[in-house]
Amino acid sequence: MIRIVLIAAGLSAAMFLAFCDGVFAARSGDPTPLSDFSVPFVFGRFQPPSDNPLTREAVELGRRLFYDPRLSGNNTVSCSTCHMQHLAFTDGKRTGVGVSGEPLAFNSMSLANLMWGPRHFFWNGRVASLEEQALVPIQHPDEMAQDLGELVDELAEEEEYREQFDVAYGKINPQTITAALASFLRTLVSSNSRYDQFLRGEIALSEREELGRKLFMAHPDVKANQRGGNCIDCHSQFLTSGFNTRFDGFTNNGLDAEEDLPAGLQEVTGKPEHRGLFKVPTLRNIALTAPYMHDGRFNTLEQVLAHYNVGIKVSSTLSPLILEADNLSKASQDRVSLNLSEDEAVAIIAFLHTLTDEEFVAAEQFSNPFLAE
Amino acid sequence: MARKRYLISVFLVLAAALTGAFYFSYRSAEPVRLTLRFHPFVGDEALLLNQVRYANPGGEGSFKVRDFQFFISNIRLVANSAEFLEPESYHLARFDGDDGTYVIVLENVPREDYRRIEFGIGVDPAANGSIASVGDLDPNGRMAWSWEVGYKFVLFEGGLVLEDTQYPLVYHVGFDENYKLVSIALDNSLFDRQDPSVDFRTDVLQMFKGTQTLDMAALPNVKFDRADAKLLADNYAGLVSKCTSPCTR
Repeated sequence: MIRIVLIAAGLSAAMFLAFCDGVFAARSGDPTPLSDFSVPFVFGRFQPPSDNPLTREAVELGRRLFYDPRLSGNNTVSCSTCHMQHLAFTDGKRTGVGVSGEPLAFNSMSLANLMWGPRHFFWNGRVASLEEQALVPIQHPDEMAQDLGELVDELAEEEEYREQFDVAYGKINPQTITAALASFLRTLVSSNSRYDQFLRGEIALSEREELGRKLFMAHPDVKANQRGGNCIDCHSQFLTSGFNTRFDGFTNNGLDAEEDLPAGLQEVTGKPEHRGLFKVPTLRNIALTAPYMHDGRFNTLEQVLAHYNVGIKVSSTLSPLILEADNLSKASQDRVSLNLSEDEAVAIIAFLHTLTDEEFVAAEQFSNPFLAE
Repeated sequence: MARKRYLISVFLVLAAALTGAFYFSYRSAEPVRLTLRFHPFVGDEALLLNQVRYANPGGEGSFKVRDFQFFISNIRLVANSAEFLEPESYHLARFDGDDGTYVIVLENVPREDYRRIEFGIGVDPAANGSIASVGDLDPNGRMAWSWEVGYKFVLFEGGLVLEDTQYPLVYHVGFDENYKLVSIALDNSLFDRQDPSVDFRTDVLQMFKGTQTLDMAALPNVKFDRADAKLLADNYAGLVSKCTSPCTR
């Protein structure tokens, strides 16, 4: 009986494969799985979606699309306009600016290690996959203002795209465009910063950086004589990103008082307890990605540290971890302060600089392919 | 002729009996899936997150729970002469899902006469000292402190309202010595059922009034102080119990 079941299963699998073969009959060849893709053990598990596996052809296609201004309505703006490699895929602006010239609502996020951390994209978490993500800026009237039908027609005019899509996905449509972009984005792995080299045991950190690392990794506890910068409560120890479970990677970090609190994650979930919560970004390459916060309100890391140290504004959804964290015994609840010393703030900033990955921001495989062509 | 018919009947009866016996032994040998449901309570009340509605067990004021999560580790089912150990058994229990309960499904459990279920609250020392991602253990997760300290075993974050002012409550309890083993008796007839399941009561209040009743105003946070952590851990040893009356809400 078991044997019969197995045979039947084998037969249906064969039929399924034959069927797939028929669907993709137009393909001129099979895409090549990305076999040399490896990441540090400490990043943890990762899983590209089963319906969009990482292949060499998809990644190469996604790279061209990422740098192609034809993705915008007036052919002037590409993804790389707001996500520039030398700035760890940010743009140095307070908020992004697209085809309309109107400043966008949010700071352009760095693109690194996107297979880990929160499984929701954009500052307010409004999409749940990279495949969905890319469709938003392409069509947004202020960002790229492109009609998807027109985009497909435009790309199909070019023989190289026709061939690339043919091998990678067998067809050109909005789904395969975003699938290719998502594949390229998944390969943007930053894992050779000095912090990574330290984790691999290749280098030692300076005394100041090491103090900063220890403070980064600790919630302060006066009773236990432990000083802390409280960073780890939101930024995970190796990835330095927000957490990947449900909406645990979103927080209200005290930027605005109750009356000015923006919707944030509440716009997506509708829950009042999510008002004013934003995505916790990776701190990889943070020294290159100013200005900071979802609205780019801080220009320097010193301002960011000063915010956490003495600038927290209290609201109903403020993280209790921020409200409670203090390196001195709490005298009153009137003023929220971490009470880090000047030296400690400087040490944390020194540690943050160890997260800069020079190789990542110069890597040829992430660069503009049109410049090489 | 009659004799022949008689023999055929005997044969048919025997065949039917044998088939039945085989079927029965096959069915009883077939592994089952066991569902464990954890229902969150604050004392006698069902836990509702983000609502200031529960009395401070040892003092003034009312509290709310913003987040409550804890690790359930190394689930083991014990029979007289057999036991089942779930592989990679690390579950992060949390109660912010749609129906507010936390569910673990144990797959491929051999049908045995299990008398009790055992598991740990927290993370065993070996896993607590490792950075491998096993089960729900994630060194980049919310429950990780840092690789030098290990995991938070139980996380409670919320607020205490005293005279119109809200104070933060932060209880992060970890450290190897606070890994607590729980052993709960199972019903004798549990595995006679087609889809066996067990309901557990998870009473957050046990953390604050298990063996010692605590005033949240006097102890609004516990993190790295070993004595405070032990106090809460001795209390949360009684966090999970079997539902005696229906726990469903």
